[in-house]
Formats: sequence, C-alpha cells, structure tokens
Amino acid sequence: MAPPRSACRALLPALALALLGLAAAAGPRQTPPLELAQELAEELWSAGLPGDLPELEPECRSLLGAFAEGSAALTGCLGRRARPVRLCQGCHGHYRRLLAQYGSIARAVGNSSESHNCAKSILTSDRLQIVVTLSEFFNETWEAANCANCLKNNSEGLSNSTEEFLDLFNKSLTCFEHNLQGQGIDLSPNNYTEVCKNCNETYTKLNDLYNHLQRMNRQGGESAHSAHLCIDVEDAMNITRKLWSRTFNCSLPCSDTVPVIAVSSFILFLPIVFYLSSFLHSKQKKRILILPKRIQSNANLVNIQEKYS
Amino acid sequence: MSLELTPSSFLRIGQLSNVDLNEDIHELETEVPRQRPNEIPHNEKLLSLKYESLDYDNSENQLFLEEERRINHAAFRTVEIKRWVICAMIGILTGLVACFIDIVVENLAGLKYRVVKDNIDKFTAKGGLSFSLLLWATLNASVVMVGSLIVAFIEPVAAGSGIPQIKCYLNGVKIPHVVRLKTLVIKVCGVILSVVGGLAVGKEGPMIHSGSVIAAGISQGRSTSLKRDFKIFEYFRRDTEKRDFVSAGAAAGVSAAFGAPVGGVLFSLEEGASFWNQFLTWRIFFASMISTFTLNSVLSVYHGNAWDLSSPGLINFGRFDSEKMGYTIQEIPIFIFMGVVGGILGALFNALNYWLTMFRIRYIHRPCLQVVEAMLVAAVTATVGFVMIYCSRDCQPIQGSSVAYPLQLFCADGEYNSMATAFFNTPEKSVVNLFHDPPGSYNPMTLGMFTLMYFFLACWTYGLTVSAGVFIPSLLIGAAWGRLFGISLSYLTRGSIWADPGKYALMGAAAQLGGIVRMTLSLTVIMMEATGNVTYGFPIMLVLMTAKIVGDYFVEGLYDMHIQLQSVPFLHWEAPVTSHSLTAREVMSTPVTCLRRIERVGTVVDILSDTSSNHNGFPVVESNPDTTQVAGLRGLILRSQLIVLLKHKVFVERANRSLVQRRLKLKDFRDAYPRFPPIQSIHVSQDERECMIDLSEFMNPSPYTVPQEASLPRVFKLFRALGLRHLVVVDNRNEVVGMVTRKDLARYRLGKEGLEELSLAQT
Repeated sequence: MAPPRSACRALLPALALALLGLAAAAGPRQTPPLELAQELAEELWSAGLPGDLPELEPECRSLLGAFAEGSAALTGCLGRRARPVRLCQGCHGHYRRLLAQYGSIARAVGNSSESHNCAKSILTSDRLQIVVTLSEFFNETWEAANCANCLKNNSEGLSNSTEEFLDLFNKSLTCFEHNLQGQGIDLSPNNYTEVCKNCNETYTKLNDLYNHLQRMNRQGGESAHSAHLCIDVEDAMNITRKLWSRTFNCSLPCSDTVPVIAVSSFILFLPIVFYLSSFLHSKQKKRILILPKRIQSNANLVNIQEKYS
Repeated sequence: MSLELTPSSFLRIGQLSNVDLNEDIHELETEVPRQRPNEIPHNEKLLSLKYESLDYDNSENQLFLEEERRINHAAFRTVEIKRWVICAMIGILTGLVACFIDIVVENLAGLKYRVVKDNIDKFTAKGGLSFSLLLWATLNASVVMVGSLIVAFIEPVAAGSGIPQIKCYLNGVKIPHVVRLKTLVIKVCGVILSVVGGLAVGKEGPMIHSGSVIAAGISQGRSTSLKRDFKIFEYFRRDTEKRDFVSAGAAAGVSAAFGAPVGGVLFSLEEGASFWNQFLTWRIFFASMISTFTLNSVLSVYHGNAWDLSSPGLINFGRFDSEKMGYTIQEIPIFIFMGVVGGILGALFNALNYWLTMFRIRYIHRPCLQVVEAMLVAAVTATVGFVMIYCSRDCQPIQGSSVAYPLQLFCADGEYNSMATAFFNTPEKSVVNLFHDPPGSYNPMTLGMFTLMYFFLACWTYGLTVSAGVFIPSLLIGAAWGRLFGISLSYLTRGSIWADPGKYALMGAAAQLGGIVRMTLSLTVIMMEATGNVTYGFPIMLVLMTAKIVGDYFVEGLYDMHIQLQSVPFLHWEAPVTSHSLTAREVMSTPVTCLRRIERVGTVVDILSDTSSNHNGFPVVESNPDTTQVAGLRGLILRSQLIVLLKHKVFVERANRSLVQRRLKLKDFRDAYPRFPPIQSIHVSQDERECMIDLSEFMNPSPYTVPQEASLPRVFKLFRALGLRHLVVVDNRNEVVGMVTRKDLARYRLGKEGLEELSLAQT
C-alpha cells in the first residue's frame, strides 16, 4: 500500500498546479490573475502543501471564523435547550445571526481580485463543503421545529399569540406547583383531585388556546410542515397534557356504560326482529317454472345418467 | 303444460337434485289442481325468462347491405373518427362523474363526521354518550334511507356494485334498464348516499357501471329518458356498436376508480374478451387514459395544486417506496401463505353472502322491506363502530399522525382513540391509513376486533338495495388482517428486517379481494397500478393466484355467484367440459314458430301477441302453401323488425295501392332502437289483418345454422364467439327443426358432481 500513497503525495502538487492553471486559463481576459495563480502554484510547489494555505484571503478568513463561532454558539444553544424544548424562544437570535453570516459569505467578494471571491473559495472548492452542510443542517432543524410559526414575521422575538400561550402555560404550571405543595410527596396517583379541581380552569383555557392556535394554523397554510405549531408550543402543551392526564390522572373517566349498552343492544336487537318477522310473515317468493320445448328430455336424461352413474 | 311431464323436466343426476325442491313438487302434485303452473321457491338452479340476448350479430338484410354499399371509403373514415371522439368523450365524462362523486362524498362525509365528533366531544365531558350514539345511528340510517329509497323505488337495477350486471352485458345479456340515464343518476346519488351513510361500502365498483352507462348513452347521441335526440352518431345505434362502447366505458370506469388505465383495459378484456380486436383495445385504452387524466387534473385543481397531478384515482393507495417497503425473496412464501388465508376468508365471505342473498331474494323482496333492511344495517354499522370505539383502550399520540377526525373520548389529552381511525372514517381513508401508518400505530387487539367486525358488516352489507361496491370493504378487511399478520410476524421473529407492516397490509388486501371477487389478470394490474410500484407485481400476482385457487376449491367468486342467483343466462368461456355427449338435437328448442316469406299480417300479429311464447327471432321459410312438407330455411327475422314493419304498415297490398309510399329505410329501425314498442301498442285493424306482408327484404337471408348432429361444445363455440342470439338447427334438407338460443346453452352447467341442467322460470 505504501508506494501508491507516496506516489499520490508526489502527484498532489502537480494536480493543484494543473487545477489552478486550468482555473486561470479558464478565467477571463486579464493577465494579472493568471500571473498570480502561477505565483501561487509555485509557492505551493515549493512548500509541498503547507499547513496554512495562503489561498484564503484575510477577509474570507475572518468571515469563516465568524461563521464557525456563530455555529458553535447556535449548536450550544440548541443542545442546552433540547429538553424541555425551548429552541425557538432561546435560539432565534443565534440563528438569525448565523443566517446573516452565511449570507455575507455567500455574497462577499474578495477585494483583491474579482474573480476569486469568498463564496467560491469557502463554499464550493472541496468535496465536503462543510460550511454548506452546517448551514443546511441548521436550516433543516429550524424548519422541522417550525420555529417561524411562533416568531413574528420579521422573526425578531416571539409572536403575540405565542407570548399569550407561554404566559398561560407558566400560569398553569404555577397552579400545579401551588396545589401540590401543601401535600406530601408520598401521594398515591389517585390523590391529585385537588389539582384537578383547582387548576381545571387554567388548564382548560390553555388547552382551548392551543386548539384554537392549531385550527388557525391549519386554515392558514396547506403545506405539510405548517400543519404543526412551533416545537416550543407543542412541547409545552405535551408536557402539560401528560402531567394532567398521566401524572394527575385528571382526564375524563369512562362514563355512561349502562345507557350506551342499553341503546346499542336495542339497536343490535332490531335486525333480529326484522329478519324473524320477515321470515315468518312475508310471503315467500315463488318462481313459476316454464316447461321447455324439447324433443327428448328423457333420452337426454338417460344419456347423462349413463355417463355419471 | 301438464304435470305428468314435470319430474322428467328436472334433470336429476343420481340424487343430487335439491331434496326440498322435489318435496315441493310432490306436494304440489297432490294439492294443487292440475294445469296450474309449477311454483318453486327461488334457487340458484334457474334461468330467468326476463333476460334476453343482445343482437351482437348484424342482421345483414337488404336494407343494411344497400346502406353499407352507399357508404364510401371516406365516409368510413369519418365513422372511425367519430368512434375516437366518442371514446374521448366517454373518458372525459367518466372522469368528471368520478370527480363529482369524490368531491361530494368528501364534503358530506366530512360534515357528518365533524358533527358527530363535536357531539361526542361535548358529551364525553358532560356525560350522556348514548345520545351521541343515537345521533350517529340516526344520521347514518336516514342518509342510507334516502339512498335506498331511490334505488328500491326508482331503479332497482342500480343496486349493488353493478359489476355483475356489466359483466352480463358484456357477455351479451340484455339486462333491462342497465344502461339508462336514469340508472346512472340513481347510481351516482345512491353511491354518494351510501358512502356518506357510513355503510361498509366503496364507491369504486359503481364507477364501472357509471362509465358503462355514460358510454352507452354518448355513443347513441340521444337519450330516450330525456326524449332528446341530438341527431348524431346514428350509425352506432345498434347492439354491436353499443356493446363495444360499453366495454370502453367499463374500462374508463375502472381507470377512474383506481387510477389504473391498463387495469381498466384488462378488466374489459377479461369480461368481454370474446369480441375483441386490436383497434378496439387501442380505443379502449385511449378512453381509460383520458378518464384517469381528467379525474387527476380536475381533482388536483380542486385540491389547490393544479399542476401536481397526484390523484389519479378515486382511491389512492399512496406511495409505496421500494426502499422502505421493499420485499425480499424470503418473504414470498409468506405472501403465498397470506394468499391461502385470503382465499379461505374470501370463500367464507362468499358462502355467508350466498345464504344471505338467497334469504333476501326469497323473503325480502318488497321494496319497503328492502329500505328498512338497509336502514337497519346502517344503524347497526354505526352502533358497532361506536361500541368498538367506546370499549377500545388503544390510545395513540396525536402528534405526527395524520388522522382526519381524531376522536379523543376517554384517552388522555393529546391522544386519540386508535380504533376510531378505522371506524370513524370513510373506508377509503381507513385503507390508506392501514397501508401507511407507521409501525406501532395500531394495537394487535384493535386490528383483530376490527377485522372480525368489519368482515361481518361488509358481508351483511353486500347485496342490500343500495348502490355500493365491495372492492373497498374487501381491501379494508384484508389490510386489517394483513397488518395484524405483519405485526405478529415481526413480534414472533423479533427481527427488524420485516419491520414495516404496511406491505403485509397491502398483500392481505390483495389476498382478501382476490379471494372474494376472483379476478386475476386485471386485478393484478389494477393493484399494481394503484400502488404505483411495479416490483410489487410479482408478489401480488402470486397472492391473487393462490387466493383464487384456494377459494375456487370451496365456492365461486362473488360476482359469478350473484349472476347465478339472479338466474341470468350467462355463457362462460367454454361449454362445460363433459358435455360432448350432447348434440344440437337435444339442446335445441322445438318445434319452432316459423313465418313464411310472404305472411298474412293477422298471423304475425297473433304470433307476436302470444304471451306464452315471447320468441324474439323467427326463421323465415319458403312460402309455398301447397306442399305439405316444411319448406327450407330462407332467413331469420327479429321481433323488433316485425314490430317496425307493422307500425309502418309495410303491407303488400298497400305498396300496390300507393306507389308513392316511402320505402322503409334502415333509419326507421334505428330510430326505434333500443326501446321497440310492445305489440299491444300497435293497432292493426280487421281489414289489415287480411293483408300480406313481404319479409324477404327485411329478413337476414344468411342466418347461421348448425346440423342436428353438431355437439354442444361446437354449438357453444359458434354461439359465443360470434355473439349470436339465434342459431337455427336444420336437417339435411335445410328444413328448420329447432332453434338454439342463449338459454338453451346456459342451461348446462358444471356443478359439483357433474353436469347439471337448470330450469327455466318466470321471475
């Protein structure tokens, strides 16, 4: 395996040279860039792929650095706010900044040479394209969380309905806490009735608001992701509902068993009556046989009987 | 008609004949005075006199030949172009009707489910759920009542899926009223109402009937129901052309129902194949494509994404990705096993439905009883659904699921009742949910209960006096047990390789449908096209094959069974295999009522108005009254032609008297088609009775004949392949000795223990 690898190493500078040469040749009209490229290639050649490439211009490098820091910050934010989900509330600033940084990379043009801009050198000059991948990842996460749904249109800060919802949410959590405090920790699951009674109003309000938001949202847009509310709101509601139904066991008990059984057995009984009565009272439909005009029904019969008996 | 003949008229082979039937006869013999017609309860070994054949074979009389000679080459080309135009129109209209049904059903069912859901939500909190149950049952029953009323009282032939009727029509049987505009209207409204009414039915089968009616209507260029004649397409006003267009319409219907144009063509091929040629196939394919495209474009405009074209059929199986839901070769034996299960369950379904249908024919024949029955079924369906939902404790998180009407009931907030996705929904949606919901959406218990209940409900529903199809319920039953099978398989093997239960749901659906309807080629292609995944073709084919083989071992397919129960003289592909010993002499009816070439009007009128013999074709013999012997066969004339002749009073004497009288043209026959007036409505005065009528110009001078010694299979082949209605049996002097019609041939059937003979009956 060793010889091929060394061969590769030897080949690399040549390849870079060739590539640069090609790029320069393909480049438009002016000669300076061509010379520059040749210089660069010579540098490469002599340095034998140094650690720090002189390829990237200082402006681009600073943009890249900013992007790296921004994405680190956003990643940290996302990670920290993963449970309970507070992504949209906490990280929209980071996300917006990162978007701006990415935008400036994509738009930025290096000062020294027009043909050689940062977008090209940072975003598209290698196979991995890590900056693009990172930014795509953030965008997808943001889309999946559907954060746009609970932010204002210019995505600065939370929208009014979201604020209202979170307010109610906090209120009901406070209510839960408040009602649980007086009682000991060793409660059996059945003893949460106090909570159920006292917080019912807040909880119902919260639930209704959530359902209302959902309905509004569904009417608003047809596309698939806008069928969801933003993840913060959804998760908050989920937590509350779980507490309410599972932990406190406040959801509705199965009721009305007797009337339901009575009504359904009455309805199920009807067809039996119907079929019995039509069997007993309805006149059976008779068919009138018509005798066919044939020559020898008997011979016919014999013929077949011989065959099958 | 005397009763001494009776026992011998039943063909009894050993002791296989129905015992009850024999007892009935003996009772009749002892109690009923003689000369009374013989009455028996309805059974499946009867042929009804109600059904007649289509005249697929042209009557090549002089008028016809003259007209054909007048038409030159260019005119024939125009006729050909007209055929294409008609096919395009059939496609477009069928697609539009399908759109209409789909949109109306979606909206009405949505409205109903919203109302019931709000009611249930309200009463869950307050108590009093029995009111919701009553509301649901009443809503269903009243909607179904309307649907059933219009079918039972206005057009009974619109009941059921219509596939058996269309199958018969393509086979060459004229089912009264089957291709009328009124039938179409009732069918479409009836389907909408029965689906909205929550019955275990689908709207796909009736599309085939609807397409056929549209085809029959358009190709005639007029509507007798509306009394409008557009004076176009007059060339196509005969059974031959109409039937070809009806096969195009049936294909267009299948194609609109399942988004399966090729499947539609193959359906027509499978059902009407004996009269088939390449040009017709190509035209039918054209109609199918147009139909699915029309449906697709209109529905995508309706759903708001105009250029998307994502809904090619009424039912959309959704996308089956090869990556996620692909199958491996090891799974094929499992699929075959599912085919066996499908065959057995299908046979059980058919057997139960057979008894039910027999009971219905015998006892529930009054229209008001039929309406009551349909209402009861609707109420019970709602009740069963409600009780199942009520008792189910299978709650699933609402997040990330695509349930249309999530019912919470006693589930925790943010969860929905999983049983409700299956019951509280239109069957089409439930099928798609079963195919595509992620693994774990259904509890095995839920699925098991659902399968069991729905199986009986669907079986009970099919055959009611509502217009509704059996495709979707079958698919739903199959999908439910298929999914259950898939879940238990991955549970048993603890492996993740066969993780997705969706494909098992699909195979189960195919197996169940195949086990019930026993279609082969067309169903494979329909399923393949509906899934949009060609790689599924092979397992689906295997599953359908197995289901058919296993099912046929027990009972026959649902449609064939219903055709038989309706006492339709249906001709299968070939004569029963053991019928070589029979010859035309034994098969034919004799003596034959013959007419002379120049016949007295009085005789014709008497023969036509004789109620005991409603013959439709009369051999015409040489009019030589002097000789005592029967004269040779000269031609064949139809009842309809005679009636037109009598109506226009084309008598020899009149022709002599007034030479200016217009000569009768082929157009006069066409204008009367297809509803020829009955003989009673034609007034013939006493003087006119003495006139003579010359048939030589109007009769078909070259009717098909067979000698007496021809074997039954040979006669059968000739009859079936040419689509004949009358086949004259002659002796070696070309004298008429008998006549073979459809009923003479359809009498012989291969039963369980050999050749059986059916009896003729008036129904």
